[in-house]
Amino acid sequence: MAADTNVVEISTAGLGLVYRKRQSARRGGDIYFPALKEVDLEVGKGEFLSLVGPSGCGKSTFLYILAGLHKQTSGAAYIGGEEITGPSLNRGIIMQAYALFPWRTIQKNVEFGLEVKGVPKPERQRIAREYIELVGLQEFADHFPYELSGGMKQRIAIARALAYDPDVLLMDEPFAAVDEQTRGFLHEELLRIWERTQKTIIFVTHSIDEAVLLSDRVAVMTPSPGTIRKIVDIPLPRPRTNALVNTEEFRKARNKVWQLLQTAGTATKEVKKEDGRVVLDTVLQEEVVF
Amino acid sequence: MNDNERTGSLPQRIFENSIVLIIIVVVWLFVPLYTKNLFLPSLFSILESFRDLALNGELWLDIVYSLRIVFAGLLIAASVAVVLGMLLGRFARLERYLDPTLQIMRNTPVLAILPVFILFLGIGDSSKIAIVIWATFFPTLLNTIQGAKNVDANLIRSAQSMGISSGGLFFKVILPAASPFILAGFRLSAGVAMIVIVAAEMVGAQHGLGFMIFNYQHSYQTSRMYVGILTLAIIGVFLNFGLVKLEKHLTRWQEKTQ
Repeated sequence: MAADTNVVEISTAGLGLVYRKRQSARRGGDIYFPALKEVDLEVGKGEFLSLVGPSGCGKSTFLYILAGLHKQTSGAAYIGGEEITGPSLNRGIIMQAYALFPWRTIQKNVEFGLEVKGVPKPERQRIAREYIELVGLQEFADHFPYELSGGMKQRIAIARALAYDPDVLLMDEPFAAVDEQTRGFLHEELLRIWERTQKTIIFVTHSIDEAVLLSDRVAVMTPSPGTIRKIVDIPLPRPRTNALVNTEEFRKARNKVWQLLQTAGTATKEVKKEDGRVVLDTVLQEEVVF
Repeated sequence: MNDNERTGSLPQRIFENSIVLIIIVVVWLFVPLYTKNLFLPSLFSILESFRDLALNGELWLDIVYSLRIVFAGLLIAASVAVVLGMLLGRFARLERYLDPTLQIMRNTPVLAILPVFILFLGIGDSSKIAIVIWATFFPTLLNTIQGAKNVDANLIRSAQSMGISSGGLFFKVILPAASPFILAGFRLSAGVAMIVIVAAEMVGAQHGLGFMIFNYQHSYQTSRMYVGILTLAIIGVFLNFGLVKLEKHLTRWQEKTQ
């Protein structure tokens, strides 16, 4: 599918984030925890890219920098050629915990971003209805979130993000909290919605199968401090369904990502810098060749 | 408690809810007729006094007088407490500045401050409104702070990702998220207000239910005294019932827990 992936939608250059824990000089001075290191990534317009990596490798942090909710300490991130300096409605974020506003009905939840944007009431009601219909939950429009199952809540979270028409969807392990069967259904739903709306999607996940099934490309990250180790093309035909997981091509792609993750073979060690700061640094191992 | 027990038939539930009250009423109606103690008149003579006071208008005057002060004080206290509580809950620095002072104020017994208010404001309405404000301020404030602190960080992040202003964040996210805490605090405040108004009216007043009770106790018109006490009990029950209903309606979006 990959609409017009020749146009770059999102790019990062030397993106890094070092957390600082303040500590008195007597106890050895401040400690620095690098969470991300030198992340260079280009994502094309309309592309579906997944980020996989070991726990704590900084993939969610990376997503939050793109959302404008965290600030990097080095490098820069761009969207549509413009540097990201804060949150904006050209990006929609979808979190594992749904983060629907429990006091708002489904309809009012989906209207939220439009309300912030200042869209007049009749207009935003119409748009919200349209997206609730897109995710197939129109009969729940007047219900409160607690009355919906996890999978339904996540579909509403997707509708809410789509309603204000962002260019990019940033998804942080969105399906990690739902059961296996629902997840399979949500995968096909997401692909259908993506193909219809032509959004650029960056999808963070723990699941290799999920990444391979959904994505045009899968970026494999190293352990902390995370950086992109390798990007794997997934040349599987579209439109895709869950049945694809039984094919030989899927298994091959899956295996490739899996091996990269196994041998993502980096470790951290403490390095004393010239100016006396103690820094945790990555020790890169040999490249694995396929 | 299993389902059968809880949802017994309607007549059975009415019986269970009223039988103890009925026994008390019957005992209070008849036993004093034999004991003939001035301090505990029969409910018959209390009801008679009730009719007298209702007909000559005195009772209504006292009710209106007391409730006017209760609602004025509650409203002023709650609006300030909600605004301040939201700020204290979200800005830890501000809380560090104000918390010690608030702790001392909160832990000073309300009625110990009353003489000070009377010195400054006299024994009219203003000292009573002031004491009701003081007493009802803290339950709402503390609950609001708690509520504002407990807002799910994901909801805030989600709203921020949509570029919401900080004013919008307060009104569209933090206030509704904290509302169950705020409403529970307000209900506590309302209960406190009823206690305080009675005490304040006993110390110095010309009207009001507290004054009425105290006054009739002094003149040994005990059945009239009991009219005041029972009226307060009934008002308290209805006030709480109304606030519980309001709370349930405003927080109907919350998952019901058994």
